[in-house]
Amino acid sequence: MEMPSWSGSPGIEEERAAKMGVKMNAAKWVEHEPLQVVQPRGEAALQLKNITKIYPGTVALQKVNLEVMQGEVHGIIGKNGAGKSTLVGIISGMVAPSSGEMVIKGRNLAHLSRLDAKREKIAIVPQEPQVISDFTVAENLFLGDYPRRGPCVDWPEMFRRAEGILRRAGLNINVRAKGEDLSISEQQLLLLAKACYVEQAEIIILDEVSASLSHDDEDIFFTLLGEQKRMGKTIILISHRTDDILRVCDRVTVIRDGRSIKTIPCEGLDRQQLSALIVGDDVGGAQRIIAGSPRSKAEGEVVLKVEGFTRAGCFENIRFVLNKGEIIGLAGLRGSGRTELLKSIAGIESRDAGTLEIAGRRCTVASPSQALERGIVYLPEDREKEGLIAGLSVRENLVLNSLSQISKVSLIDRKMEDSLVSKLIEAFGIVTATPEQEAGQLSGGNKQKVVVGRISAFGPLVYLLDEPTRGIDIAAKDSILRNIRDRLAAQAGVVITSPGLDDLLLVCDRILVLFKGRIVAEFERAEFNEGRIFMAMQGELGNQIK
Amino acid sequence: MSKKLKIELFLLDNLIWVLVAIFFLFNAVVTPNFATARNIINILYHSSIMSMLVLGEGLILIIGNLDLSLESILAFAPGITMLLAVKWLPGVFGPVSCIFITLLVGALIGLFNGILISRVQVNPFLQTLSMLIMLRGLVLFMVPFSIFPLPETYAYLGQGWVFDRIPAAILAVFVIYIGFHFVLQYTTFGRKYMATGGNPKASFVSGINTSRMIIIAFVLSGLLAAVAGLLAAGRQGSVNNSMGTGMVMLAFAGAILGGASLEGGKGTPVGMLGGAILLGMISNSLTLLGVQATLVYATQGALIFLAIIIDRLRIYIRSRLLHQEQLRKLALEQGKGDSF
Repeated sequence: MEMPSWSGSPGIEEERAAKMGVKMNAAKWVEHEPLQVVQPRGEAALQLKNITKIYPGTVALQKVNLEVMQGEVHGIIGKNGAGKSTLVGIISGMVAPSSGEMVIKGRNLAHLSRLDAKREKIAIVPQEPQVISDFTVAENLFLGDYPRRGPCVDWPEMFRRAEGILRRAGLNINVRAKGEDLSISEQQLLLLAKACYVEQAEIIILDEVSASLSHDDEDIFFTLLGEQKRMGKTIILISHRTDDILRVCDRVTVIRDGRSIKTIPCEGLDRQQLSALIVGDDVGGAQRIIAGSPRSKAEGEVVLKVEGFTRAGCFENIRFVLNKGEIIGLAGLRGSGRTELLKSIAGIESRDAGTLEIAGRRCTVASPSQALERGIVYLPEDREKEGLIAGLSVRENLVLNSLSQISKVSLIDRKMEDSLVSKLIEAFGIVTATPEQEAGQLSGGNKQKVVVGRISAFGPLVYLLDEPTRGIDIAAKDSILRNIRDRLAAQAGVVITSPGLDDLLLVCDRILVLFKGRIVAEFERAEFNEGRIFMAMQGELGNQIK
Repeated sequence: MSKKLKIELFLLDNLIWVLVAIFFLFNAVVTPNFATARNIINILYHSSIMSMLVLGEGLILIIGNLDLSLESILAFAPGITMLLAVKWLPGVFGPVSCIFITLLVGALIGLFNGILISRVQVNPFLQTLSMLIMLRGLVLFMVPFSIFPLPETYAYLGQGWVFDRIPAAILAVFVIYIGFHFVLQYTTFGRKYMATGGNPKASFVSGINTSRMIIIAFVLSGLLAAVAGLLAAGRQGSVNNSMGTGMVMLAFAGAILGGASLEGGKGTPVGMLGGAILLGMISNSLTLLGVQATLVYATQGALIFLAIIIDRLRIYIRSRLLHQEQLRKLALEQGKGDSF
């Protein structure tokens, strides 16, 4: 079946005119009217056959099959760590698969290079937007292919065209603003506009874009997607939010544990069905965590009391009390201030106001080393940059926080060290060739187990765990959550954050919801309700605080 | 883990000494008069000054910084001390206090470097470059001539003998290296030091006072450069204004041969000693073979290049061995069924 012969988008000038309601070339616009049919058009734009990707220590993808039709909006959904990002890497040409083949518009490729991707007009809007902060919006938009007059950049022309594109995309951004002045949300939309109208990509990959969009920008985003779809573009939308997928996608492929589980049309599908597919039979395993450890509402013993914590622009008047044996979840979207709050409690970042009581004693915490002395330990969100010391061995990493336990007069006792290390490796199920292996060579999940093991060995009063389950496979996640519940919370109080609600619902006794730097709601375990907590995270539910 | 793997890993981790051994055996056959006790002592004696700079630079590389100023400290510390003792305040300081003053000067310059780099966040390259030029300039200005003779005690480290057989310099080098090796490997300070070098951000977050570690690193390297100055002054029986010129680049080479990495967190003093000795052996054998002095420098450079390539190979082989071992373990684990 032939695609209707409407290719590319009209000239920028015409786009601008069209947007403003001026019909410059009526025929062309009428012609693309029938394309509003949203049915996929039968021909595959992109096919993956038996794609496998092995990283040292982990199998990220295992015989994944994917077929994306020309002109459809195809969703890819899965939990954190299901293998979505690896898959995105492969279809955008940034990661080479270990085996399997790809077919793009009928051409067989063992793998795709960045250049191939560009030639085939595949564009990606990445999860972390890459906008050059010192360049203007217009420059960022035309990066690599500036409008020119002779050998020089034609600045007036560039600004004019950039304005046209942004207006067409429905973005209210000044083209002369610097990249750094844009919010993450605006940066994402800018890159989307670039993919659609500057690169005129035929296959657009959106990697978790909606996750960092603000509420208003979300509407612009979906409008833009709708328009692209009408223009016959193929869109691949990666998300872990079922709402997004069901809102725009024609079909969705569910990825679980590095395998493609199923591809199904979205019509007639509801959230519950989709969620069931995403989670699979993992639910049982996850619930075991709770079942195995009856919650002990800690009687009285307060380990941490946070009062009036404020930092301008990040968080405001935060107060909560943490008991021994209790796990508090901090739920909040990206940018809600959860990382900043934890870091300032741990003495890593500063605060404007607020007091801290640890085990009933008022104290100051001005640096991480002071926090450690007082019994507060922080697990950083960015494992590679702030958690692990990649060049040191697993052994050296594991004991870093508990050197005083294994030494006499600052001389390390190797026997005590080795026994502590093997105890930790066993307790946390760290898969490593030998304790002497460089920690940087482990798989993501094992790296995280090393960092969690390290801080637990120290035996603090308060654990601040910032996204302990980020980017690790399900088995490792299960094991880490279980250890948090059974081992860490046994002796101390725990504050934990997570990118998704799943983990918090599993292990927490209480969930505090942060929205724009304020605690807007609080839920006890008995009243956990994913929907309501989710609404609170979006700022749509307030005044729950007693 | 099998015994074979253990031995393989041990050899890979001490590759520099394997290279030293191979180079030694090769020259023992090829180069006349190479493998004699006298020549070996000669090699060690002549590498002693460089060994101190290699260790100083190595300690700085481990912490993830670099120090260009070492070769100027080498000249400046004994230079200023001798001026003090001979010209400015004659008769006030005895030779022993002169030794302490020399070390103190080195340590103070290191302290200054360290404070600016860790607390004021000056780029280490620029900071130590300015010190390299400034201190050398001061030495050239203040010590326009050689200062000699030196008091015998002051020169002892550079020219004295222990038991009439072993130069004091060699003994000092070994004692210092072993001391540092012990401190880095077996003390809590050493662990924190290595961690800071491996990932300063993570170390800070995990509660290590990283800026103190960096300051200590620079103090130690300044101290070691001053020791190198003592050795150099003692050997030639005088202090002159060109001591140490051009040595810092070879010090980098020696430290990197010995397992240090420009990214930090890597290397051991024992490995660096191997690096320093290899450098010394290379120049010694080239001289004995009658290679033109002008060509020795280039040949040294070529051999260093070769050794660095071998080091990359070592890292590759090491990670492959461990990767295979891990796969084997994973397979075993899966064989056992669900591990949770």
